[in-house]
Amino acid sequence: MARAFAADGEELVAIMDEDERAVVAGLCLQVMDLVAPASAPTKGESADPFEAIVAGLGDLSTDTEDGAAGLEVPNRAFGLDHDRDPALDRLFPTGNREDEQEAAEFRRFTEQGLRQRKHQGLATTVRTLEAARDDRWVVTRPQAPAVLVALTDIRLVMGERLGLRTDEDATRLEELIETLEADDPAVFALSVYDFLTWLQESLTQALMGEDE
Amino acid sequence: MSIAPAEQQTSEPDVVEAVDTPWITLVWNDPVNLMSYVTWVFQTHFGYPKQHAEKLMMDVHLKGRAVVATGPKEQMEVDTEALQGYGLWATFQKDT
Repeated sequence: MARAFAADGEELVAIMDEDERAVVAGLCLQVMDLVAPASAPTKGESADPFEAIVAGLGDLSTDTEDGAAGLEVPNRAFGLDHDRDPALDRLFPTGNREDEQEAAEFRRFTEQGLRQRKHQGLATTVRTLEAARDDRWVVTRPQAPAVLVALTDIRLVMGERLGLRTDEDATRLEELIETLEADDPAVFALSVYDFLTWLQESLTQALMGEDE
Repeated sequence: MSIAPAEQQTSEPDVVEAVDTPWITLVWNDPVNLMSYVTWVFQTHFGYPKQHAEKLMMDVHLKGRAVVATGPKEQMEVDTEALQGYGLWATFQKDT
């Protein structure tokens, strides 16, 4: 059973078994593929249904576009001249919602750098996971921001796959999940999402010095 | 998402004297980012005191968005890029 992050001197330590660490590391690698500048995942590349979800290849039964709340979702791709994976629009959203030229220019000057930084942070997170001994996932204070951002990036991608775009979606998803079969990939995806949320909350609190 | 009009820009007098600084950085609400994390980002990136960072976070959460910085355009672009690097949806625009 995993234990959330807690401060241990200068280190922040979570207890996670090998399987749990492998899930998080695997998700880091998936999102690294997604943010890598040259990568363009193609349909049918991954045989693993869960990996396929994160890579944007699988469909989830929770992702309804036609909900009442769906109309409220603002255009994150403003200033982009082509369609692409919606998760990328969430990771690299428009920087200006009023002026399309400003939006396009901002994207041109920032997106590659942002992709690179996210890639590095995810790679740092994988290294800390691989360095775990005795099920202790040790994150130093200097590493913690990169790990927090990596957990955020994974959750943003998973949230997008789950159709989580507004606060109303979160409520809707909780209700919907009750009605799904236990072996629905969305049920597993949501449980992993909740696990990451729990980890990130504990790491944030541990870093801010507020163990609860 | 409850997008209330962000009519309270004047409630942030301690950001920057906003007389001749016509650009702002906004952060928009989303269902994924954690309240504690958003507070931490505002403290870390801007160096805001915790109380102020929490107030801005609550504004984002309850009003749908908040003005988190005011200043010259170049600085707002830097802030927007940094906040997007943290995974928040930040935008910059003219303060109309």
